[in-house]
Amino acid sequence: MKFYVNARYLIVPFMSLIAIVGILFGGSFAWVGVGLFALNTLIDTLTKNIHLPADFDDSGESYGIKKLQYSVMFLMLPVFIALQVVLAYRIFQYNADAPIVINSFLGLSYQAGISGFNLIGATVSSGLWAGLGIIYGHELSHNKKEGFLVSRLIMALSGAAHFTYAHVYNHHLDLGHEDDPATAPRGRNIYTHAWLSHMGQSRFSYILEQQRLRKRGSSALNIDNRWILGYLYSLPSIVLFVWAGGGVGVAALFSVWVIANFLLEALNFMGHYGLIRKDGPVEHRHSWDNDSVFTSWFFIEIGRQCDHHVRGETYFWELDDVEGPNYGIGYFSLFVITLIPPLFRVYVQKHLENWDEKYASAEEKLIAQKFAY
Amino acid sequence: MLNFFRRSPANFAVNLAESDISFNAERGDSLLSSALGAGVPWPFKCKVGSCGKCKCRLVDGKIKPQLDFGYVLDISEIKQGYILACQSVPKSDITVSVNLNENEMDGK
Repeated sequence: MKFYVNARYLIVPFMSLIAIVGILFGGSFAWVGVGLFALNTLIDTLTKNIHLPADFDDSGESYGIKKLQYSVMFLMLPVFIALQVVLAYRIFQYNADAPIVINSFLGLSYQAGISGFNLIGATVSSGLWAGLGIIYGHELSHNKKEGFLVSRLIMALSGAAHFTYAHVYNHHLDLGHEDDPATAPRGRNIYTHAWLSHMGQSRFSYILEQQRLRKRGSSALNIDNRWILGYLYSLPSIVLFVWAGGGVGVAALFSVWVIANFLLEALNFMGHYGLIRKDGPVEHRHSWDNDSVFTSWFFIEIGRQCDHHVRGETYFWELDDVEGPNYGIGYFSLFVITLIPPLFRVYVQKHLENWDEKYASAEEKLIAQKFAY
Repeated sequence: MLNFFRRSPANFAVNLAESDISFNAERGDSLLSSALGAGVPWPFKCKVGSCGKCKCRLVDGKIKPQLDFGYVLDISEIKQGYILACQSVPKSDITVSVNLNENEMDGK
């Protein structure tokens, strides 16, 4: 049981490595990361009706092994660095017009050089898996000092180091309120939300740092400004890609960052869309759960938003179904629906009506009426 | 130097000043989670270090902060020894001063 509970959360590390190997093998294998994303969407859809509770032994202890899970999360930083390095390597080859030939290494054939088409595949693969890897940045933002720094570095690989502070000091405090840029109000589509949420959280982090440094009597313009420091953490990625490919490198890194941040904001969008909190503490009803089995295991229980926002200190493997609002499908499936805004609005309508009727307070219902569509 | 290799005790004693309440904090557990686990009605709200509801004053002993308290607490509070219970892990037996009547959940 212990092995099963801990091994099931290794899908992303395993698939991330496959995506990296695909880029290294080259040719059409550079698209493996994209293919895995599509496969995951299929698996998620087929298993949408399977929901499993958190697992505890007879004495109430979790089967999760903290040291193992944390080791995996920490190790994801070098994995995501490797993902960027292999992409940079392919960009270097493309820019240098390296001949596209089949070589051999330790008996394995790989394609040296890369076509423009397959470089696009490598870039999209990298963006998707950097974006999915943000689940580790999120988890570590809630934990020990060292984990917090690792979270910042993982997020910095996607140009989003501000997330770690905005998530803890803004999103968890102001969830469901208009002061939380990560909560999407009713009527907003995922594309608008990705931009507004990203910029809103960065702005919050900027203001947070100004206030902190002002309290200390320090200027906001110094190396101790963690908003500035977060963007400096992204500098090595920029230098690497500029060196690897100049303009092509910059375009590729920008694409990776856009895709990765879009996936991050998609999780925020899906996790709290249209939910309203007027006053009082954050309760289970202020989040959406997406906890079908594949979503739960793939996203290390990030889909159990209801429990997570009430027990933010809880390890992911202990998060449980608390019978909060639930979309009834997994994240991959819902993500595809959100990409077509009119379809998403039709899909979510019944869920919002159910929330208004069963979960909303009287004041929250009044606010919801202003968004009626 | 030998202290580096010495394993810390399995738990530490937490005493509340101005009362006779005391409980144990297991190694690695935050002050807040240890208090709540012992049935102490410690005030809290977010549990992630962003609201300040669980703040208390460290009168004696050592804790390890998990986050920078400077985002939530004022400089004067930090100088007076205030800490966030949800982000503090006891590293020795400690004595803290906390207002257990601060349990009204305020707005937002």
